[in-house]
Amino acid sequence: MLSLEKGVRLPVRLSERRYALSIFGACAFLLIIITLAAKKSTGFQWILSGLTVGSIYALIAMGFSVIFSSTRVINFAQGEFSMLGGMLMYTFNNYAGIPAPYSFILSVLIVTIIGASFERLIIHPLKKPGVITVVLITIGLSIFFRAVAKWIWGTDTLAIRPFSGEKPFRIFGASLVPQSLWIFGFTLFAVILMFIFFNRSLVGKGMRAAAENPEAASLIGVSPSTTSLVAWTIAAALGASAGIIIAPIKFVSFDVGVMLGLKGFASAILGGLGYAPGAVLGGLSLGVVETIIAGVFPSGYKDAVAFLVLIVVLLLRPQGILGRQERLE
Amino acid sequence: MKSFFERKKSDIGKTENTYKTFAFGSLLILSVPLWARLIPGNVIHMDIVNVMVLSGIYSCAVIGLNMLIGYAGQISLGHAVFFGIGAYSVAILSTRYSWFPTWLGVIIGAIVSFAISWVVGRPVLKLKGHYLAMATLGLGEIGFIFFREATGITKGTVGITAIPSLSIFGIEFDSNFKLFYVVWPIALLLMLFSMNLIRSRFGRALRALHSSEIAAEVAGVNTSKYKTIVFVMSAVFTAIGGGLFAVFQRYVNPESFHFSVSILFLTMVVVGGLGNVWGAIIGSIIMTFLPSIISALPYWFPFMPKSLTNFGNYTLVLYGLLLIVFMIFMPKGIAYALEVGYSSALRGMKRIRDRISALKYEKRK
Amino acid sequence: MDAGENNVLLKVDHVSKLFGGLAAVNDVSFVVRSGEIKGLIGPNGAGKTTLFDVITGIQPPTAGRVFFKGKNVVGMRPDEITSLGMVRTFQTIKIFEGMSVIENVMVGRHSRTRSGFFSSGFLLPRFRKEEAETFEYSMGILEMFGLQTRAFDLGTSLPYGQQRLLELARALASEPEMLLLDEPAAGLNPYETHELTQLLEKIKDAGITLLVVEHNMGVVMNISDEVIVLDYGEIIAKGTPEEVQNDPRVIEAYLGSGIGNAQS
Repeated sequence: MLSLEKGVRLPVRLSERRYALSIFGACAFLLIIITLAAKKSTGFQWILSGLTVGSIYALIAMGFSVIFSSTRVINFAQGEFSMLGGMLMYTFNNYAGIPAPYSFILSVLIVTIIGASFERLIIHPLKKPGVITVVLITIGLSIFFRAVAKWIWGTDTLAIRPFSGEKPFRIFGASLVPQSLWIFGFTLFAVILMFIFFNRSLVGKGMRAAAENPEAASLIGVSPSTTSLVAWTIAAALGASAGIIIAPIKFVSFDVGVMLGLKGFASAILGGLGYAPGAVLGGLSLGVVETIIAGVFPSGYKDAVAFLVLIVVLLLRPQGILGRQERLE
Repeated sequence: MKSFFERKKSDIGKTENTYKTFAFGSLLILSVPLWARLIPGNVIHMDIVNVMVLSGIYSCAVIGLNMLIGYAGQISLGHAVFFGIGAYSVAILSTRYSWFPTWLGVIIGAIVSFAISWVVGRPVLKLKGHYLAMATLGLGEIGFIFFREATGITKGTVGITAIPSLSIFGIEFDSNFKLFYVVWPIALLLMLFSMNLIRSRFGRALRALHSSEIAAEVAGVNTSKYKTIVFVMSAVFTAIGGGLFAVFQRYVNPESFHFSVSILFLTMVVVGGLGNVWGAIIGSIIMTFLPSIISALPYWFPFMPKSLTNFGNYTLVLYGLLLIVFMIFMPKGIAYALEVGYSSALRGMKRIRDRISALKYEKRK
Repeated sequence: MDAGENNVLLKVDHVSKLFGGLAAVNDVSFVVRSGEIKGLIGPNGAGKTTLFDVITGIQPPTAGRVFFKGKNVVGMRPDEITSLGMVRTFQTIKIFEGMSVIENVMVGRHSRTRSGFFSSGFLLPRFRKEEAETFEYSMGILEMFGLQTRAFDLGTSLPYGQQRLLELARALASEPEMLLLDEPAAGLNPYETHELTQLLEKIKDAGITLLVVEHNMGVVMNISDEVIVLDYGEIIAKGTPEEVQNDPRVIEAYLGSGIGNAQS
């Protein structure tokens, strides 16, 4: 469509991102001031807890991003993958007594199969669905999962044993439970894995190409059908593992998926929908901001403030803080 | 001018049909309490009039939402908030000030809803697709949290009890039977209004921007203005429904305005038929009756498991399944299926009539 | 630069449009006088459609101004520009889905009608009168295009060529002073193209100024009073069809594009 500009040198897209990053920086600075204004140890505690929850949001947000970038679909049932993951983990580990590592793998596997089969059975046959159709179908799916979970596991809040002990250790006056380390570690592991997948493997590279231009991807030999299936599989696996590793800290019940999903989506949008590094950054920042808000405001309003922030960001920068502006048609 | 009348499929003819169907449909609905009394409650195990009143209340909300989603193509996942604003306006005003007429509460709820949706709608509706879905969902969530946490105003999760019944100029609408004849005329009027609207310059503009915003703008439609108006309209309709909900239940708590209620509205729109005026009413009647019917099944058929009587706890499974099934297999909803069925029945009748007259003709020969 | 500013209808003044660092339109200036048909040609990706988007308010220009009837329309919404009297059509047809042919044209009347929310909802007499007028006017336009027999069919059910005509009809319904047509002949067969050419002449005779983007050189050369050639977002030639056809830069652009722009 476009021709190369001749002669005049003009600001490139990079500057837009730099501008966005500076907003990010300013916000971070503001947060640091707030945390410093609070007692030092409290402030550090906020950041640590914020990063813990934020990592979970980041994992879920990556799920949203992967599906969106390869298929332009938003999966409103993403949070339910996490819920199912946690629930299954509880069943295998606490109830059936299967050792944690095996339970973990088993739970993730089952949720992944559920996610993949949903893509094959429902999303794939739709061909080119409209936004409203997809939103409604995936919302229907999330309600269905939630209701089934309520049926099977009841309404109780279930606790999962932490992976290694519960004795918190202290860093600079703040306390950190070992589970947080697991969470940081796993998130890092997942991010690296995703990076390798999208930069080294053929399918991954094809999916990145597909996000830019579906036809180009077909030329490399990666069909939109494969892309969609792989995206859903990855998203389900990410969601399930997020739900499992957070469960020892936040517990799990049939309705945790709603909030996890919403926050994950919010993070994905904050970071720029369809831009995976943005999803990670969005998740971490949402986690920290939210924890600080919960410390400053009455805790009941925590989620309300989080959504307010999200809506304001949407209105100011609809393409997300790190997202690129999409061209008209 | 001549082509205007000559044409078989003329808009004018269609219009007449539409109003005929409307008159017929409203009579059918308005007659329900009269014959429903003849069926003894211990046989069907369901209070038909009670459920009908509730579905009429939901209809008000769903008619507005259908205009927004089905015609203008703008999604909202947070309409329960406007339902809540309507309900809480009535609840708060009428319980705090005993002299406050409940009907005025309904109107004030509509006005508050109007103001809030106007302020919020204009910026939010600049967003499209998934972003709009997310923003409206966020609004719904914020509203719900406000209802739950602002205990000074809304009494939080405890809820507001002892809301007086609806009274209009001294007439107390304290029974479901009486309330029915307030709720349904209102719902039908709202429907008539939106029916007129859809067929007008306004409705054409909405449908045009649904199809392509850019093309609509070039055709001269100020899309953001029209989107805002239809959003505000749907919010006001929903608030009216909410106000009626408060005088019907006589009790409100935040749970009645949760995200799942927004989804319930959405399911009603989809099951009835996106972009079909009758769809809103059919959808809300079906979705309101469904849980009652399923809970009553064990009484009707002895072989049905008794556990179904507690089905109320699991209605969500049904909403989820229905959303998926309808979006995939019947995206135009039940109203469309009925329309198709009706017109093919008419065609069948005509064929039989032709056949008979042909036979008669042959006999005479 | 151009003499006789008095009958200038549209003036494009040093307009540039950049995407990121890429210039889709680079410092373009020209005028269109009332009553003339101006052709705008250029190889694929020359920036013709982007220029249209900028003129009609769909995308803001990075720099420059656009005057219509002496009024700077930069920053105006597309619907405001339409009510001023400048309307466009699209290269990719945008017929409103789920609406009948006549309704599609009636939407085009939007800027010339006024009934609002309440008068429509309550079926006030004012609304009914205007609705009947709108209907008749739109029907008249359909008759001019020979589409009256399909008036109550779905707009999207028309064959491709007629959909193009319908879009033109919708644009005309707003009683424009100036029409911007984006590749009106794209996808038409020779017979339809010939019909279109005659129709455009008719529109011109009705006193409507035309700016026509066309890939099909034949159509442009036939109808245009003057032709502007765009390449890489810049004007490389302008003049009468004959002058332009013999311009070596134009020939080069078109020949070169056969190789260089094959992928777009």
